Amino acid sequence: MATKLSAPFLVRHEFLLRRLHSLSGLVPVGAYMVVHLITNATIWSGAGTFQRAVNQIHSLGPVLPLVEWAFIFLPILFHGLYGIVIIRSGLPNNGSYSYFTNIRYTLQRASGLIAFLFIMWHVFHMHGWIHNSQWREFIEGIGGKFFPFNAATTATDAIQASFLIRAAYFVGVVACVFHLANGIWTMGITWGLWTTPEAQRKANCVAGSIGAVLLGIGLLAWAGFALRSSDSDAERALENKIIDARIEAGQITEGEAKHKRVPTEKKRSSADVGETVLGET
Amino acid sequence: MADTSSKPDHFEVRVLRQDGPQASSYWERHRVRYEPDMNVISVLQRIASQSQTVDGKEVSPVAWECNCLEEVCGACTMVVNGRVRQACTALVDRLMAEQESDIELQPMSKFPVQRDLVVERRRMFRGLEKSKAWVTVDTYGPMGAGPRISQTEQENNYPLSQCMSCGCCLEACPQYTKVELVQGDSESDDAFAERQDSTFDGEFVGAHAISQVMLFNGHPIAKNDANERLDSLMAPGGIQVCGNAQNCVAVCPKEIPLTTSIARAGRATTVRAITKFFG
Amino acid sequence: MPNQKVMIIGGGLAGLAAAMKLAELGVDVDLMSLTPVKRSHSVCAQGGINSVNKQTRLAGDNEWKHFDDTVYGGDFLNHQPPVKEMTEWAPRIIDLMDRLGVTFNRTTEGFLDHRRFGGTLYKRTAFAGATTGQQLLYVLDEQVRRWQSQGRVKVYESWDYLGPILADDGTCCGCVAQDLATMEIRSFSADAVVVASGGCGLIFGRSTMSMVCTGSAVSRSFQMGADYGNGEFIQVHPTAIPGADKLRLMSESARGEGGRVWVPSTPQDSRTPRSIPEAERYYFLEDRYPEYGNLVPRDIATREIFNICVNEGLSVEQGRQCVFLDLTHIERSELDRKLGGILEIYEKFQGVDPRDHPMKIFPAVHYSMGGLWVDYQKSGSGGLQWGSPQNQTTKIPGLYAIGECDYQYHGANRLGANSLLSCIFSGLLVAPSLVEWLKIVPKAAADQPSSLYEAARQERQVRHDKLLNRPSGGENPYLIHEELGDVLTKSATVVRRNPQLEEGIDKVLELKDRAAACSLSDTGNWTNQNVVFTKALQDMFPLALTVLRGALARDECRGAHFKPDFAMPSLKCEEPGERIREAEAWCDRFEGNVDKWLKSTIATWQGDDVELSYEEVDTSLIVPRPRLYGLVGADVIEEVWKERVAKRTDVEATTA
Repeated sequence: MATKLSAPFLVRHEFLLRRLHSLSGLVPVGAYMVVHLITNATIWSGAGTFQRAVNQIHSLGPVLPLVEWAFIFLPILFHGLYGIVIIRSGLPNNGSYSYFTNIRYTLQRASGLIAFLFIMWHVFHMHGWIHNSQWREFIEGIGGKFFPFNAATTATDAIQASFLIRAAYFVGVVACVFHLANGIWTMGITWGLWTTPEAQRKANCVAGSIGAVLLGIGLLAWAGFALRSSDSDAERALENKIIDARIEAGQITEGEAKHKRVPTEKKRSSADVGETVLGET
Repeated sequence: MADTSSKPDHFEVRVLRQDGPQASSYWERHRVRYEPDMNVISVLQRIASQSQTVDGKEVSPVAWECNCLEEVCGACTMVVNGRVRQACTALVDRLMAEQESDIELQPMSKFPVQRDLVVERRRMFRGLEKSKAWVTVDTYGPMGAGPRISQTEQENNYPLSQCMSCGCCLEACPQYTKVELVQGDSESDDAFAERQDSTFDGEFVGAHAISQVMLFNGHPIAKNDANERLDSLMAPGGIQVCGNAQNCVAVCPKEIPLTTSIARAGRATTVRAITKFFG
Repeated sequence: MPNQKVMIIGGGLAGLAAAMKLAELGVDVDLMSLTPVKRSHSVCAQGGINSVNKQTRLAGDNEWKHFDDTVYGGDFLNHQPPVKEMTEWAPRIIDLMDRLGVTFNRTTEGFLDHRRFGGTLYKRTAFAGATTGQQLLYVLDEQVRRWQSQGRVKVYESWDYLGPILADDGTCCGCVAQDLATMEIRSFSADAVVVASGGCGLIFGRSTMSMVCTGSAVSRSFQMGADYGNGEFIQVHPTAIPGADKLRLMSESARGEGGRVWVPSTPQDSRTPRSIPEAERYYFLEDRYPEYGNLVPRDIATREIFNICVNEGLSVEQGRQCVFLDLTHIERSELDRKLGGILEIYEKFQGVDPRDHPMKIFPAVHYSMGGLWVDYQKSGSGGLQWGSPQNQTTKIPGLYAIGECDYQYHGANRLGANSLLSCIFSGLLVAPSLVEWLKIVPKAAADQPSSLYEAARQERQVRHDKLLNRPSGGENPYLIHEELGDVLTKSATVVRRNPQLEEGIDKVLELKDRAAACSLSDTGNWTNQNVVFTKALQDMFPLALTVLRGALARDECRGAHFKPDFAMPSLKCEEPGERIREAEAWCDRFEGNVDKWLKSTIATWQGDDVELSYEEVDTSLIVPRPRLYGLVGADVIEEVWKERVAKRTDVEATTA
């Protein structure tokens, strides 16, 4: 049940909200996720390639937070929070009715919940949610571990920090991919793209294929950070070389770079962590 | 053919009973003599006539609803061995093959229990009213024949028109939840009915009503009211609540293509929403 | 008069048709039903609904021929003006149903498709798959819901009608009813009450009828002074699937497609049916009617199947009467193509595939032609005066009856696919008649003293309370019902013999006393189905006696009423001249029988038993003629009969 204050609004605009929820799952949330997973999978082409891909995104400069919030964070928050409202409106009954579609109904909700919690934590873990140096200092050690100009090394270090974190990322990626692929199928019904059982069966194959490909990419990306063994010092050196080159070329300023690269005093410690983890595996 | 030689002399039936609305429910065991060709209706008839539990305790007959016993009236819906179905087509031989120990009967869980296996399904008919599931004609006087309709159209519409409002689709739907109101001491019957209706209107209408909207919106004359019906589906408790679990179509005793109706209604409401927005 | 209201009892085709038409005419309607109206028994009708249509007209059909088929099928016991009016309205009724959205089957060009039914040469029957009754009921239900949403109709579902309330002058001014959930007994005031409660199949125990067809509403009106007509005419369908709970129809088309009816020559042979060799099977229909074989007319098939089980003891099963209807010799693919739908019904309810195992079938009580006596006003053209308050009124002024529970459309036997028509027709007919009645009602129900309503309510409350408070250890109502069903099925269904009927009456009178001494296993006051059933059971006896007494008194064969001891014989003489003389004698006897027995049986309730009287039948439009189907010498009799009629017409012409 929604809270008393929000109930009338949620009830009054139920159709619009549900359709927006359905739409937001595909665009921008789903679409962003696809791009994100593909970008991350480029880690296998080396830290340099990955760094260039990240730089592309970060070339937006000061507008980036605005874009992030408007097109990624807010839609995800809406999709996730309204998703919770939807989950609370139903009552799974797989015990009595173990049909395939009914299992998927429950899985869609379970995966949605997992994906939402995962994303909330993932953004915190990597990004820190807010670009504020005091905030970042405050959460140091548990969040905001990703430094865009040292993309490969900081991300790898963050994910390989423990078995739990690696596992969390695995579960998170799988949940996100299932949720999107299954969501594409249900979305087509909701909006009336596939209506007959035959059309729905075909759409199921399409959505399933999309899911399989996406799962491949997702797991590739996951493995790229969670399992890939690499020479982190060499990668860090490469990243720093790119930064220096960009400063020299005037593409970025020293000040900008300062926020987005690993602080000097931190360099060693994070490298140490990386080494320990690598030593374990 | 059912091999009667291996059948027991008697079998046991567990019934979830409830003495009245909001009363607590309890299980009761009955023993019924096996006869060939029995269905759950005849089992309940024997239980009523015995009025005695397996321990010999005198009890009132189990209350249940039924009428046609041919699976066309929709009255005898109940949860048999954990699955919603019509009691008249629930054959004892098949139930015993499904679950050997006993037969388990429960009332539908999505509607208020009136007594034992009798539930109050008025909300379904309110859904039909809300959806304007009828053809608006000028008069019942002699105005000549109706519109010509192709065989294909008839073949599409006939399955939808077989819906007998039994409620199976709603019982199995994870998005359809029970609404049970209690009449106030000083509340008149009419006031209570009105309060019920307005509460029902805000809750999910369910597959049966969505399918009826598609039936009428596919009729050459009834489609004059198509937009009103679609608007009712876009109102709170409308089609948007559907979670695509598709249990409805799996349990429908008449095999009505409910999920096709739902998807078609999804398409129609999409178009309706866009045209409404842009005028 | 302001605030006038009509109460309709029953929400099947007739009740709903009346409600929607009354609402259109601006009358406030209360509609009461034992079940949500969408679950009424009308849904069970499968076949279709008859009317003359464009296609049959091309083949020479017209309303008069439909009228003629109906009264011929009814063995001329139907009053002809209402039937004429009904058949004339039939095409308009189909049009209306079509406009209201019934999903009738279509021709390639998009017109209504029709099939041929028994008792006619024309394809008059419009149908919607195998669920025509359901489809018709649903559109009427929808229309009534539409009026309900506008506040014109108020529906009381799950209410049990306990009887009419009569004012001092004997006019009906409301009814008493009981809420099936709360058990509250309440008086309803109404300026007219319309009983549209359907048939009474449950007095025969199990039948093809639904569980609400107890006849209680009719019986309660009958006991308050409404007469009952033609009670002994009960239609039995030859092939039904016997079930532990009810008997379900098996369509005639199973025999039409080559199904063979047989029993093992050894009574209750324990071998599986397919292992019984041909030589040890008795194909009794093929044996006894080599010409027609398994496709003998319905009534003959019914009698033979009944006979072989009841009198010859050759039933397939020990404890239950049934014969085999065998399709297993026909290719599966052919069966699926031609009979798929109906075979699925058998499979669904019996759990046995009729393509592999012979079906077990037995005749079953199907329809009650008789019902509450109702009046009509004849028009100048021989039909009905539309809008006359006399139409469909029972003996009690202000109490009307329509649908299966009136007696006037089907005579001694109902034509297939005419029942849906008569229900909708009488519903539409009664509406304008009620409008006129409301104008002349002697005293508005609103002006009747409230003490009248309270007294009527109190009377029913006392009966109810008494029943609840009966000491335990008495008779079990469910077992008495079984016994009643057995007695009626044995003595008053297919074959009727006076000694059996007399015995049946004695047994029913005894059961009636025992039923009065029932003990309830539920003495509570919440959704007490036990007490509701017991009351319905007690009210079955007046109807059971009406059927039995009517059947005992009627010493002839007419339509569904078959008394072998009084059957018209076949011709025996072989010599042509002798044969003609014999045919003349046959026709004399036939005419004598018409003079004596072409009369409606009218039963009146006398407090503890029925009293019979007889009413002339209006045969002013079509002269009654013999039904000769299946009779030896039919051709000769027909010739002689035609000569007689021609002679008579000549005489009439000369005198005129």
